[in-house]
Amino acid sequence: MAGRSMKNPNPVEKATPNDAALDPKVLETIGRALKAHYDDLVHAPLPEKLLDLLAQLDREEQLEKTEKTEKPEEKPDASG
Amino acid sequence: MPPASFKDELVAEMSNLRAFAISLSGSVSLADDLVQETLLRAWSKSDKFQPGTSLRAWLFTILRNIYYSNYRKRAREVQDSDGAYARRLIVSGDQESHLDLEDFRKALARLPAEQREVLILVGANGLSYEEAATICQVEIGTIKSRLSRARSKLVEILALEGAASEPPVQQRKVGQAG
Repeated sequence: MAGRSMKNPNPVEKATPNDAALDPKVLETIGRALKAHYDDLVHAPLPEKLLDLLAQLDREEQLEKTEKTEKPEEKPDASG
Repeated sequence: MPPASFKDELVAEMSNLRAFAISLSGSVSLADDLVQETLLRAWSKSDKFQPGTSLRAWLFTILRNIYYSNYRKRAREVQDSDGAYARRLIVSGDQESHLDLEDFRKALARLPAEQREVLILVGANGLSYEEAATICQVEIGTIKSRLSRARSKLVEILALEGAASEPPVQQRKVGQAG
């Protein structure tokens, strides 16, 4: 098979470029935009709803800790 | 019972998880529901998590499963138009990128979800092809081809080819005070 050139001398006229033919500069541009976009999302403040959920998990965690450390050997009389 | 540090690790992953959810579903409100459900499921199944493996990948897998089994239909109904979701979230207005971020978001929103998610996993999160393949439950080759198609599609939408070889347009303010 004659080696097919990977060169893409005229990218402007290529309607549907494939990845191998993409200019490294183009890929870099996309990569940078993608990260910038994602960074914005990551750094957006968390909504009340999710903060509430965290607080709830916190409480459950505390509860479990307490149960763990103060595990009653016998069932105490639940009175009072 | 989850160890004490498990919750802290969850908390640390929360913003990233939410970013993934927004990217996947295209809607902030859906994403928040999705994150909530994911966290609760992760919390209750924490014994299934293997310490030493990537918590992020594990959470992404859970979130993705929930999304594709329960949310995908809903997502189509409520999807914010053309990446408007992101606009509402932007904190900083400065754009260092050569690409206009707004244009980029619109283009991203037009990709099929399966291509977008691979871009987010590999391109934005820096996960390996292997990790992405595990999360998406497909072959590595599929990840590569989706990634490739995603990039090509973005280039097409943004009409980047050719344009990218030009230097970024920078507006120069010519001295006003003089």
